[in-house]
Amino acid sequence: MTTSIKNMNCEDYKEALAGDPSASFAGGDAHVAACESCAAYTAEMQAFDAKIAQALSIDVPDLALPSLPPVEDDNVVNMPFRNKQTFSMPTWVGIAATVVIAAFVGVRMIDLQPGSGLPLDQEVLAHFNHEPSALQVTTVAVSDEKFSSVVNPSIGTMDRNVGLVTYANSCIINGKTIPHLVIQGEKGPITLLLMPEEMIDGAMTLEGEGVNGVILPMGDGSIAIIGEHDEALNEIEQQIIDSVEWRI
Amino acid sequence: MNSNDVGRERHRRFDRVVSVFHRDMYRYAAWLCRDPSIAEEVVQEALLRAWKSLDALREDNAAKPWLLTIVRRENARYFERKRLETVDIDALSPAQSAMLAETEDSKLDELRQAIYKLDDDYREPLVLQVLMGHSTKEIAELMGIQQGAVLTRLHRARIKLKEEVEKEAAA
Repeated sequence: MTTSIKNMNCEDYKEALAGDPSASFAGGDAHVAACESCAAYTAEMQAFDAKIAQALSIDVPDLALPSLPPVEDDNVVNMPFRNKQTFSMPTWVGIAATVVIAAFVGVRMIDLQPGSGLPLDQEVLAHFNHEPSALQVTTVAVSDEKFSSVVNPSIGTMDRNVGLVTYANSCIINGKTIPHLVIQGEKGPITLLLMPEEMIDGAMTLEGEGVNGVILPMGDGSIAIIGEHDEALNEIEQQIIDSVEWRI
Repeated sequence: MNSNDVGRERHRRFDRVVSVFHRDMYRYAAWLCRDPSIAEEVVQEALLRAWKSLDALREDNAAKPWLLTIVRRENARYFERKRLETVDIDALSPAQSAMLAETEDSKLDELRQAIYKLDDDYREPLVLQVLMGHSTKEIAELMGIQQGAVLTRLHRARIKLKEEVEKEAAA
């Protein structure tokens, strides 16, 4: 038995009991065995908790499943700003002709501009929506090894003290491999996409459902920062910019 | 495995996960937003989002916190979209009233109303602990706060509820 457990007073015990009403925390049994008052309090709180559980168990209506899009359409469904449309036959003929022309032009240009062809802001948002698993609220940082493999010398460097980095992955934006990072902000996870080769003229606001984000120019590249709707991104933008150095 | 098999397996997995946890998703949403009809919308959106990102769920035994996290985000998105006013306990919709008085036990209904009136910061960890069975560590991770803050909020939530119930009893 540690000193702190041995010295657990009634106030400590009651506060610990609030966190774990089963009283299975270290020192709980010992304290309650020696304190009649707390034993009675424990029984009272456990009975009260049973009532709270009962009160919280509201009836659940029959919930209908939403219409689930086919798996093949995932990449379309995940694109923000894109509505499903139906087309008539003549429209399809026009589209087919356009596709042939676009394919021809695309083949000619592929060496110049690899990627999806979406504007950068839409490409960023599509990617953001495609990796929701990255947006965990957690206190577990990615390992230095993982971080270094993602923010590697071919990209540049980043001072990871800018925030608790909880996700790091190499992703593709406009055909280029870039670091996709998540740091924990004040209000939740903040996504950072470091894009050393995506030069932009000025800051681009990211607009979409539930999105609070910006793409900031930085040298020959740019950095996308996306946070919770109420996250004050402007307070950390400069810190993030200062933490990154592109490969020379 | 061809694409049809993959699609069927994905559906089966989704059904399996959802059938186990959809009640938890609904109750969590209902206590977060305090409105059964909004909770249904939030759950629908959450299910759609879960379907789209199902491949991100690596192990089914992690499904519950994963789904609840999605519900939490969808609830935030809903309120961001709709810009609703704070719920006024004295001006409840029929659905909200039904949520608070659906038993024949008046004491239980009083307790439910007391929970309903708790600040979001106190109500949410209580729901996660008592109803969802989350540990304080898990609650801290889900809510993005320190474990100590969770303990404090749980302690205060129970104290406030006890005071409210005792006040009702004395009235």
